[in-house]
Amino acid sequence: MFAKDSGLLQGTLELLVLKTLSWGPMHGYGIASWIEQATDDVLRVEEGSLYPALYRMARKGWIEAEWGLSENNRRAKFYHLTAEGRRQFREQTSGWQRFASAVTRAVSTSTAPSWAR
Amino acid sequence: MRDQPPRKRGARLLPPKPEAEVDDELAFHLEQRVRDYVARGMDPDTARRAAEARFGDVGGVRRECAELLGEDRRATSRRDWLGDLRQDVRFGVRSALRSPLFTLLAVVTLALGIGANAAVFGVVKSVLLDALPYTDADRLVRVYGRFLDGSNERGPLSAGTVHDIAERQRSFTQVAAFMTTPSDAVYGADEGPRAGRAVWVEPALFRTLGVSAVLGRTFVEGDIVGDTVRFVVLPHATWQQLFGGDSGVVGRDIRINGIARTVIGVLPRDFVGPVGEADFYYPLDYRPVLRDPVSARGSGWLGLVGRLKPGVTVDAARRELDAIGEALAREYPRDNGSIRLATMSLRDAMVGDTRTPLLVLLASAGLVLLITCANLAGALLSRTLTRRKEFAVRVALGAGRGRLVRQLLTESLVLALAGGAAGIALAVGGLALLRGLASSALPSYAELALDPGAVLVTSLLALATGLLFGLAPAVTVGRANPQGTLRDEARGASESRRTRSLRGLLVAGQIALCVSLLVGAGLLARSLWAMTATPLGFVPDGVLVADLQLTGPRYRVPGAEARFQEEFTERLRALPGVRHVALASARPGAVGSRNGFTIVGRPWPSEDVLPFVLYASVTDDYFRTLGIPLRQGRTFGPSERADSPPAIVISEAMARRYWPDGDAVGSRIRMGPDPNSTPIEVIGVVGDVRNDPTRPDAEPMAYGSWRQFPWGSGMTLLVRAERDPLALVGPVRGTLRAMDPALPLDGAMTLRAAVGEGLAGRRLPVMLITAFGALALLLASVGVYALFASMAAAREREFGVRVALGSSRGAIAALVLRQGAVWMLLGLAGGAAGVVAVSRLLRGLLYGVQPFDPVTLAATAVILVVCAAVALLVPVRRATHADPIAVLR
Repeated sequence: MFAKDSGLLQGTLELLVLKTLSWGPMHGYGIASWIEQATDDVLRVEEGSLYPALYRMARKGWIEAEWGLSENNRRAKFYHLTAEGRRQFREQTSGWQRFASAVTRAVSTSTAPSWAR
Repeated sequence: MRDQPPRKRGARLLPPKPEAEVDDELAFHLEQRVRDYVARGMDPDTARRAAEARFGDVGGVRRECAELLGEDRRATSRRDWLGDLRQDVRFGVRSALRSPLFTLLAVVTLALGIGANAAVFGVVKSVLLDALPYTDADRLVRVYGRFLDGSNERGPLSAGTVHDIAERQRSFTQVAAFMTTPSDAVYGADEGPRAGRAVWVEPALFRTLGVSAVLGRTFVEGDIVGDTVRFVVLPHATWQQLFGGDSGVVGRDIRINGIARTVIGVLPRDFVGPVGEADFYYPLDYRPVLRDPVSARGSGWLGLVGRLKPGVTVDAARRELDAIGEALAREYPRDNGSIRLATMSLRDAMVGDTRTPLLVLLASAGLVLLITCANLAGALLSRTLTRRKEFAVRVALGAGRGRLVRQLLTESLVLALAGGAAGIALAVGGLALLRGLASSALPSYAELALDPGAVLVTSLLALATGLLFGLAPAVTVGRANPQGTLRDEARGASESRRTRSLRGLLVAGQIALCVSLLVGAGLLARSLWAMTATPLGFVPDGVLVADLQLTGPRYRVPGAEARFQEEFTERLRALPGVRHVALASARPGAVGSRNGFTIVGRPWPSEDVLPFVLYASVTDDYFRTLGIPLRQGRTFGPSERADSPPAIVISEAMARRYWPDGDAVGSRIRMGPDPNSTPIEVIGVVGDVRNDPTRPDAEPMAYGSWRQFPWGSGMTLLVRAERDPLALVGPVRGTLRAMDPALPLDGAMTLRAAVGEGLAGRRLPVMLITAFGALALLLASVGVYALFASMAAAREREFGVRVALGSSRGAIAALVLRQGAVWMLLGLAGGAAGVVAVSRLLRGLLYGVQPFDPVTLAATAVILVVCAAVALLVPVRRATHADPIAVLR
């Protein structure tokens, strides 16, 4: 999958986690499922990377974890955004949008560079 | 609370290990995935395999996550701990400020306790712990002559003995001798002639001590040429005083005793010679003395230091020198028969008799600190009682007990540190005071300053104190039962039995320590009193004493000294207000020289030992001036001329010991070891004079007439005045100047003051330990008061009820007293044990009083009971005046 060799994974994954949690507290499995669902299964979250990323984000103080009960009454660890996490989410979203539109503009342009003319 | 399972939150147990938590989380993930696959129609086994395959490396992820979580946890707990500490300190300071009286009392008490310790430790450290100002000072050893008759444990050695030791010893890399008594050195200063002290040392001495000059050099063998001293080495202070610290001083000349001598070097500032203060150092060569068979071994005037070879211990050196001493005694029975060698480390030699008093002081300061701690623990305990409700509420609201204990400890630490800071300030002042009081009582190298080590130890003391006295209330709070307390408080019940026992024990401990201290102070004070009260043997009041030094070529003519003395005493006697005038070779009570003698016609004692007695040369009016009574025969008069048959006057103790039949007067003796010297007739017996005021008995003593036994150029002047002796200083000085303006008059003071100086070393520890005792008494009284006050206050309601039910006030007073008396008795019992320890420690310092002196013990008990009674008065009054109506409403 594209994430594996893109090198973008870390930042992208963190942004997607932040986005997921901006809807409300969720456990790791729910986060992975939501990301796949929201990207129409284009991005399959590598589970081996998701959990370390969650712990790293917790260390950075973006998210906090709390044990609670899942929808089927199973004990699960729920993550939620901290104030810092929400700030990060806003910043990274606008950053990503600038980045994505720039890449899109470049990729979809039909104007050839001068040296190719 | 994050990262913690909800079911465990209330229990305050540690969160699960990071690995377990990660396992839980990942297990949930896999289960969820399996459930998902099964819902889509997979069979459970396939679903599980598929879920694991999709997850990938479970073990690796688990390890990575557990590590991240562990790091996170550690960082969080560090942050929390610091945050809590900040909160505790803030709270501690605030609660200290809320009760300013309590805080002030606590800080002042602590400051006294800690300050006393810091000051005393400063002294102890500078005297006992700090290194002597020599290289590898621990390897230096001092050798003394020990007189077998007990008259001198640390006497000088003869030139012959020193020479033999230097030849035979194998323990030292180097030995060096010096003269134990300084010579007088008169030199010109800005304000006129001054008499200083010159100390003769072998050139090797500075090398042996490992001291080199800061300017120029120290002595070498070649500096000794002929009989006249050509070169001198200056101590730092002399350099500053005479040359203003001029760095070009080396090579310059200085006139000492009328002769120009060249300065070759200046010693370091912290250098202290083995003889103490000196103004000049002269190079010494004792070998010429060896040529004279009588003086080579007959008189002791040298001290010896040696540097141990590597691997040789002081004990080994002592064994070797003991053997050398025995051998010399066999080889020279007349001179060395009564003398052995005493070997000790140079530190012991210089610290001398100050060790025991210092340790006593350190122990007293420690006891005061313990009392301080006990007192504060008691005070904090009763404060904790009044704050019980606060703590109960906080526990009920979910504060952990550990957290409360920690807060209490922090509060007491805040107090302790404040007290410690105040204590250090106090110690600085105390040391300044001690410098003034103690200069004569401490070894000369001691510098009384609050050094970093003392400050460090003090800070540690303060911290330990804080922990110690914070512990007691913390323990009770840890046990507090919020429900019970809240209920109790509402009902206003008495304090718990456990708390009361703790407080009682603290007070008992204070009383025990206080008893020990007071008994120690009492014993020392009684000793000092006994020393001062025992008659000296002469009348020191109304006598002026001063030192005089005849220098210059005109006194070298034979008979010039005697002529000067005759004329000087004649002129002084003519001054108004002067009753008697005398000159002597030493101050009474400070005679340092001893002479051996034999009785003519009496067989030589079988043990081949010369008896030694104190000796002084005096002028005719000496006994009259000092009021020493004549017991038998006569004293010196005009018939004792330089050319008439020599005569001697002896003391009662000497007469009693050597002429037990009372036939001393008229018998003849020989002074010194020479069997062919002129016999001397005993013409009279006079009353005993106690030479060492710290010793109970008077040593045997002999006096010679100065005309017949001239003593050299230094002499002590004694003038008995009609009225104030100090008023004569001016006229005496004027008379001397009129006779010879180059002669200095030094150390003029009343004889009473001179005698007192000899006791200064004894007085200081007594004063200090008495001060500590008073402090301890005050603190213990406060402790007793506080115990009874809180006891009475806590039971006020109960007393009200009792009064309402018809109990008499006397019965209530008895109740309070009975409850407190138990603890006081316990304290006194503990004090008895302390007294045994104190008496053992003090035994060596006591004089004229038994270690278990009934007067001291009784006085201590009475003082304590009186203080306790005063402390009891208020609380008992309050208890018996409990108004049932006011209390019960």
